Amino acid sequence: MTVPLLEVSHLTRRFGGLVAVNDVSFRVDAGEIVGLIGPNGAGKTTLFNLLTGVYPPSSGDIRLNGEASGGLKSHRIARRGMTKTFQNVALFMESSVLDNVVTGGLLHNSLPDARDKARRILDRVGLSAIADVRAGDLSFPERARVEVARALCTEPKLLLLDEVMAALTPAEMEEVIDLVRSLRDEGTTFIVVEHHMKAVMKLCERLLVLNFGELIADGTPEEIGRNERVIEAYLGANFAKTHAAQPVEAT
Amino acid sequence: MTTQRSLFALACAGVIVMALLPLGLDPRGYEIRILCITLLFASLGQAWNIVGGLANQISLGHAAYFGIGAYTSTILLKLFALSPWLGGMIGMALAVAFALLLSLPTARLKGHYYALATLAAGEAMRVIANSWADVTGGPVGISVPYLPDGSLWMMQFPTVLPNYYLFLAALVVVCLIFWKIKTGALGYRLRAIKENEQAAEVIGVDTYRAKLIAACVSAAITAFLGTLYAQFQFFFDPDTIFGVATISVKMALIAILGGVGRLSGPLVGAAFIIPMEEIANSYFGSSAAGLSQFAYGAILVLVILLNPHGLTALFGQISARFTRKGATRDRSIA
Amino acid sequence: MQNLLTLLQTTIDGILIGGVYAVISIGLSLVFGVMHIVNFAHAEFLMIGMFIAWFAWFYAGIDPMLGAFIALAVTFLIGMVMQRTLIKPILHAPQVSQIFLTVGLLFALENGALLLFGADYRSVSTSYQTEALTLLSTEAGRLFVPLDKLYAFLMALLSGGALWYFLSRTRWGRAMRATAQDPMAARLMGIDTDRMYMIAFGLGVGTTAFGGAVILPYITASPTVGSQFVVLMFTAVVLGGLGSVAGAVVGGIMVGLIQSFSALFLPIQLMNLTLFVIFILVLAFRPEGLVARRRA
Repeated sequence: MTVPLLEVSHLTRRFGGLVAVNDVSFRVDAGEIVGLIGPNGAGKTTLFNLLTGVYPPSSGDIRLNGEASGGLKSHRIARRGMTKTFQNVALFMESSVLDNVVTGGLLHNSLPDARDKARRILDRVGLSAIADVRAGDLSFPERARVEVARALCTEPKLLLLDEVMAALTPAEMEEVIDLVRSLRDEGTTFIVVEHHMKAVMKLCERLLVLNFGELIADGTPEEIGRNERVIEAYLGANFAKTHAAQPVEAT
Repeated sequence: MTTQRSLFALACAGVIVMALLPLGLDPRGYEIRILCITLLFASLGQAWNIVGGLANQISLGHAAYFGIGAYTSTILLKLFALSPWLGGMIGMALAVAFALLLSLPTARLKGHYYALATLAAGEAMRVIANSWADVTGGPVGISVPYLPDGSLWMMQFPTVLPNYYLFLAALVVVCLIFWKIKTGALGYRLRAIKENEQAAEVIGVDTYRAKLIAACVSAAITAFLGTLYAQFQFFFDPDTIFGVATISVKMALIAILGGVGRLSGPLVGAAFIIPMEEIANSYFGSSAAGLSQFAYGAILVLVILLNPHGLTALFGQISARFTRKGATRDRSIA
Repeated sequence: MQNLLTLLQTTIDGILIGGVYAVISIGLSLVFGVMHIVNFAHAEFLMIGMFIAWFAWFYAGIDPMLGAFIALAVTFLIGMVMQRTLIKPILHAPQVSQIFLTVGLLFALENGALLLFGADYRSVSTSYQTEALTLLSTEAGRLFVPLDKLYAFLMALLSGGALWYFLSRTRWGRAMRATAQDPMAARLMGIDTDRMYMIAFGLGVGTTAFGGAVILPYITASPTVGSQFVVLMFTAVVLGGLGSVAGAVVGGIMVGLIQSFSALFLPIQLMNLTLFVIFILVLAFRPEGLVARRRA
C-alpha cells in the first residue's frame, strides 16, 4: 500500500472549552482533488490551520508523505510541500502582484529564479496583464487568483484552497475548475473548501464532510448525496432533490 | 532602468561632493565636527532603518549596541593596546550576541510591547555600565588613551579630517548594505512579514530567522559605529552612549522623520536634525540646562500632531521631490 | 529569631512600598486598558504630583497627605486637557506615531520641569518622618513600621479603593470599562467615548500624581525623579498584565517585595537590573501578565 500524501489521525483542537476539530481522521492520496464541506462554523478553516501549522493540534497526528508534521511551524510545513490560501485573502497589499508571487517562490529559489518562476505562473493563471498592479487595488476575484498563484510558487505537493470561488461568475468558476484540474494533472494534489455545491460536485472526486468539528462522512459525491447524516446536517431538502436516491422531507 | 541609473549617478555625485566638502574647512574646527556627527547619525539612522524600516520593529534600545561597540574597543585598547579596528570587530561580535540573546524573548512582541522591551534592554546596559565601574569606569566615563602622533592602525589622528573620511566611508558602506538587503530576497521576506506575518509564514517565510538576521546586521553596524565614535570623541560615559534620548530615540527619529524604509530617509533626517540641534544648542547654549531637550520633545510632539498618520511621509514627501523617486514609480521595491 | 524578624521586616517594608507602587502604576494600566497606548511619559506625572504637593507644603504649610488631593485634582485636569489636545489625534494613528508622541512628551515634561524649577532637590519635613510604629520589640530586635511609609500606604489603599469603587460600582466606571472592551459597541449604547477617554487619562495620570505626593515625606522631589520610578511602574504593570487595574495592584506589591528582598543582597543598581530582566522576561513569556487566567 502506497504511503498516502496526507494522513490525519484523531486530530483534535480545543480552544478553551470549545472543541473546534474533534477526532478527525482521513487520508489523501497524491493526485486527488478532495472537497472539504460543511456548514459555516464546522471547523473547515480550523482544520486547514492545523494542517499548515497555524495552530498546533491539541492531540492527534498529521503525517505529510509519512513524516509527522503536527506542531511544526508553518514555514517548515510549507517547505515540506503543504500550504494554503486564506479565506479572507491575505495578500501583501502594498506590493505588486508579481512581488506577492515572487515571495512565494523564494522558498525554494534564489531571487532571480523566483522572479522567472513567478512570471511563468502568472502566465499560467492568466494574470500577466496585471503583474505590476498593486495588490490592494485589485478586485476580490483577482486577489483570490493571486493568492493561488502565490501558493503555487511555493511548489506545493498539497495545496489547500479555502473558498477561492467566492464571488465568481459561473464562467469564472469554470475557469478555476479547469485550472485546478490541469494543475492536478501536472502533479499538485488539492483539498478544496467551497460553498458552491455545483462547483464542488464538478471538481471534487471525493468529499469530506465536517459538522461541529466532526467528520461525518467521507466518500464520493454520490455517496455523500445519499448520506442521511449529511443531508440532515447540511445539505437540506433542495440538494437532496437533485442528488439523493430517495426523497427527503424538507428540514 | 534609467531611473535606477540616474539615481546611481546622483548618489555617486553626492559622495564626491561630500568627499570634497571638508577640504575647504578648518580640520580642527567646529564645522567639520558637526559634519562628522551628521554623517555618524545618518549611518546610525540607516542601521536602525534596517530593523525599524524594513522589518517594522520599533526599537528604542539600539543604544545598547552603540555602547557595546564603544566600550569594547576602548577597554581592549586601554588594557591590551589592541587596535580599535580589531577591537571594533570584537565589539560587533558582542553586539550580535546581545541581539541574539534579546531576540529570544522579543520574538513574538510587536509595536508598543517591542518598544518597551528594547527600551528596557538599552537601559539595562546603561545600568550595567554605570555600576561595573572596575571595567567601564562607571558614571565618570572612560577616555581613549591619547597617542600624540596618531596612526591609522590605532584609528587616531591629529586632526579630525581622517575621521571625517572614516565616517563618510562608513555611511557609504551602511547604505550599500541597506540597499542590498532591501532589494534582495531578505527584503522581500521582511516586507512580507511587515504586511502580513501569518501569511508570510504559511507561504514558507521563516519569519523568526528573517527578523533575526536584520537585527544582527543592524546591531553589528551600530556597534562598529560606536567604535568610530569613541575614536573621534575620545571620551564618553554611560548616560551618553547608552542614552535613550541621546542615541536610541535620536537614531529612530532620524530614520522616521526622513522617511522610514527608504534609503534616503536617514540621510535627509540627519541632514536636517543634527545641524538644527547644533544651532539650537549654540544659540541657547548653556543658558538653560535641558532647554534643547525640552525643545526636542516639544517639537517632536508638534510634528506628530501635524501629521499623525504620515509621520513617515512628512520628510519623505520632501525627499521624494528631490530624488524624483515618487511612490507611484517605484512600485516593485516599495 | 533574628532571621525571622528580618524576614518579617523585609516583608512589611516590601508591602508598604509595594502598595504605593501599586497606586502609581494603576494609572498606567488604566490608560493602556482603555486607550491601548503605552504612555511612555507616565512617570513624569508622578513628578508633577510631587511638585504640586511640595509647593502646597512650602507656601501653605499643607501636609503632603492632604496636598495629594490637590495634586490629584490639578493633574486630573491637566490630564484631561492633554488627552483632548495631544492623545486624541493619535488614537488611531500608526503605532510609530503613538510611541513617539508620548516619548516626546516625556522629554518635554522632564526638561520643562528642569527649566522651571532647576535641578535642586526639594524635600519636606513633617512631624512623622522620623517616627515609627513599633509592632514588636524583643531582645533580638524590633519590628517596626515607619510612619511616613505607613501613611503613604494607607493613602494608597484609600485611592486604590476609591478607584476600584468607581470602576466597578458606578455608572461612569462601567461606561469606562465598556469603552475599554469595545468602543464601537459602547458608542452604540450611547456612551460618549471621547469623554471616557478624557476621564480615563485624567484619572490615570491623576492617581499617579496622588501617589507621587504621598511619598514626598520619604522621597525627595526633583525634575528627574520620574526616571527613578519608570522601571518600577512598568514592571509592576507588566507583571499584572498591561490593562488590568487589579493586576497593577498585585504587580505593584510584587515589585515592592522584590525590591525589598533584593535590597538585602544586591546594591541598588543591580536591583534595577533585576527588575529590567524580570520585565523583559514577563513581556516575552506572559504578556498577559502573571495574574490573568491563562487562555488555552
